[in-house]
Amino acid sequence: MMNPILDISGLNLSFTTYGKRTQVLHDVSLRVNKGERVALIGQSGSGKTVTMRAIIGTLPIPPAKIESGVIQFEGQDLLKMAKVDRNRLKGTGISIIMQDPLLSFNPVLTIGRQMDDIVRYADARLGNKQNSKIRKTTILDTLQKVRLPDGAQIYDSYPMMLSGGMRQRVLIAMALLNKPRLLIADEPGTALDVTTQKEILKLLNHLVKEENLSLLLITHNLGVVREISDRVCVMENGRIVETAIRRDIFERPGHAYTRKLMASVPPLYGDRVKDIENDRQGDPKIEITGLTKDFQRKAGLFLKKYSVVRAVDNVDLQIENGDIFGIAGESGSGKTTLAKMLLALHSPTNGQIKIDGRSIDSFSNSREFRRLIQIVYQNPGSSLNPKRTVAQALAVPLKFCGYKTVEMKSRTAELLDMVELPQSYASMYPHELSGGQKQRVAIARALSVNPKILVLDEPTSALDVLIQNTIIELLLRLRKELDLTYVFISHDLSLMRNFCNRVAIMFRGQICEQGETKEIFANPEHAYTRALLSSIPVISDQEEQQKPNVTDAERQAVLASSTALK
Amino acid sequence: MNSLNEPQSTGRYMTSKQMAWFRFRRNPSAVIGATIVISVILLAIFAPILSPSPQSAGSFVDFAHRHHPPSAVFWFGTDNVGRDIFSRVIFGYRISLSLVIGVLGFAVPFGVTLGLVAGYFGGRTEFVIMRFTDVMLAVPPLAMALAITAVLSPSLINAMIAITMLWWTWHTRLIFRIVKSQMSEDYVEAAKVAGASHAHIMFRELLPNCVSAISVKISLDAGFVILFGATLSFLGLGVHPPTPDLGTMVSTGSEYLPEFWWEALMPGLAILYAILGFNLLGDGLRDMMDVEV
Repeated sequence: MMNPILDISGLNLSFTTYGKRTQVLHDVSLRVNKGERVALIGQSGSGKTVTMRAIIGTLPIPPAKIESGVIQFEGQDLLKMAKVDRNRLKGTGISIIMQDPLLSFNPVLTIGRQMDDIVRYADARLGNKQNSKIRKTTILDTLQKVRLPDGAQIYDSYPMMLSGGMRQRVLIAMALLNKPRLLIADEPGTALDVTTQKEILKLLNHLVKEENLSLLLITHNLGVVREISDRVCVMENGRIVETAIRRDIFERPGHAYTRKLMASVPPLYGDRVKDIENDRQGDPKIEITGLTKDFQRKAGLFLKKYSVVRAVDNVDLQIENGDIFGIAGESGSGKTTLAKMLLALHSPTNGQIKIDGRSIDSFSNSREFRRLIQIVYQNPGSSLNPKRTVAQALAVPLKFCGYKTVEMKSRTAELLDMVELPQSYASMYPHELSGGQKQRVAIARALSVNPKILVLDEPTSALDVLIQNTIIELLLRLRKELDLTYVFISHDLSLMRNFCNRVAIMFRGQICEQGETKEIFANPEHAYTRALLSSIPVISDQEEQQKPNVTDAERQAVLASSTALK
Repeated sequence: MNSLNEPQSTGRYMTSKQMAWFRFRRNPSAVIGATIVISVILLAIFAPILSPSPQSAGSFVDFAHRHHPPSAVFWFGTDNVGRDIFSRVIFGYRISLSLVIGVLGFAVPFGVTLGLVAGYFGGRTEFVIMRFTDVMLAVPPLAMALAITAVLSPSLINAMIAITMLWWTWHTRLIFRIVKSQMSEDYVEAAKVAGASHAHIMFRELLPNCVSAISVKISLDAGFVILFGATLSFLGLGVHPPTPDLGTMVSTGSEYLPEFWWEALMPGLAILYAILGFNLLGDGLRDMMDVEV
């Protein structure tokens, strides 16, 4: 019998909002043994974050209420502990790695100051006395542990001077400062690019071993789970539906929900991969030649230029009628700028874009152009105006493309049918809809004036995998029915493998590789494409083996930018 | 349809109006504030019916009852010419509220539109509008009022003009800040891509997102407009006797302090009551709608 460090049993928890009680955790039991890495997975809203917050004691009570249950940490019941004792465990017993390295720092204090605070307050709680020199040594040692070699320089830096990957490492170092026994990681690295995420996961695995830690990992990403856990708990609607060792979960998932989750992850390699073909007459639809975009930063009273950033650098692309053309790349690679130029929201510094043989400069202000090309945004929460109903949102493009009020009503009904939403939704506001439903409304709005080209800017990255699949199916059906051409922008290569017939990989503003999806994935040539493909977390050993082999030296060569000080 | 257990949102056990009402009821300062504001409005509307002595609102004189202390007949006492102060107070609310409506009726649409335009267009437009706003903000309101009433003559309308000329600046700044932050939301760009006009984006897309902040601001403003109006009439720059204005009443009553204390205190308390109501309501609304003003 292993020794549990964390043992939750029979945890029932409810929230009371607007006078109505909703039970969010049902009889949750979960155990983390010493030295074990346990992953808690589930969709958003399944209760995994609530569970985590119950453990660390940051739930707002009320509206939250723990109805029953025990949370034992090293044999002591956290829920019955005095507040002072429980506070003492913060950082020293249980520590947490925050999810978002970009938002978790105070931008006006140096990293050193923020880390020093953590040690100082823990000392105050425990009654330790250390002088600032000893504290600084501890901090520099910890920075060393998270593979940040230049600790002294980082100590004096402000958060904005560090890259996302470095900030994530500093966050991990912060969690380790007071030598905790249990580490909780909330979606580690998901806010980062896959290549950086891979490094972070490796680091966590090392640390757990070296520092003799136990890890509770909270995530929705099955690929991440496969790389960094010994045992997995699957959570659905506030219930733990399956607990098993990692290999069993991936090879013999027991519960129907686990199987559904597995099946919904788009495969990178193997039999489950779907090839998309373009069966239409391949006329060139969009031709991009020598496209370049510079952004000038201006400052000062008279707005003098002081630096130029080249976001898109001499891009040539040809997209054919009926294509689902994927543009992949990490954040900052220029893919969104490229999309905005396609929509004539930015004007290019150089080069030109032709649609159906016409340069878009000549008609980008006309109704005709708006009827030709439309966009679906990444986050439907932001792309739909929170104060306008579904019907009002759908009416905007119609109104400005010359529809009459009577026609608008029937068209709205038609559009809701098209995206498989009931008619009653027309009078609802976005906050009354779920993420997937909002994205359907956004798609309907983009389609309302019958465009021929749809730019899809990461349309599913804000959604859970299960819902992602329903949206992808919808898009595939609509493409067939309405003769659409898609330009699909994403950083999710496994999704692209199954959704695009051609892809282009963007790297620092340039297209480093393009071609048929099948071929690019089978034989990636550019070092960056290979590094990217090898970093994607996958869910089976077969896929792992088919990934391109990339040596550390190769990887470092293309990733130099993300680890160096900016 | 929507298979794969996508959470269905049809379980709306409360509409957004019901939720707002729920939050309102739970917020003591909003409830108290609203009660006070409604009572003030009702008193003002039905002043001729509710006042025990409607003739006191005019140049009525009853020397038999001058300087009568508060009693069962004269709730707030009587003034130096024997008029019932309570009646004059509720007629005074009419003046105060029409001042609020007049000032905010001009200042809010004007200020909000300028803020929307500056925030939406940015660049040079923003520079011109916002710097002009800053200049207007730098003018001391009382000096402005003195200047206006010196050029024109002291009256309710001129007091209104004086206050309005400076009041819009706060709304411009508030709306400008909100619009600037909303401009980075995708829905603005989505509307542009849909071909929407500038007017549509400003008034149909952006303005609805400013409404909650505007309503909180209006509610807080109402109290301050009443106070400022009272200050002007106290200084003799506003409404003239015998029209019952709360500020003028405090001013005349103060001549008889401390002996006939109620003549200044009661209209003063009436001002306090109205301002307290508007401020509590504004604070309550702010908590409810979670906006910063």
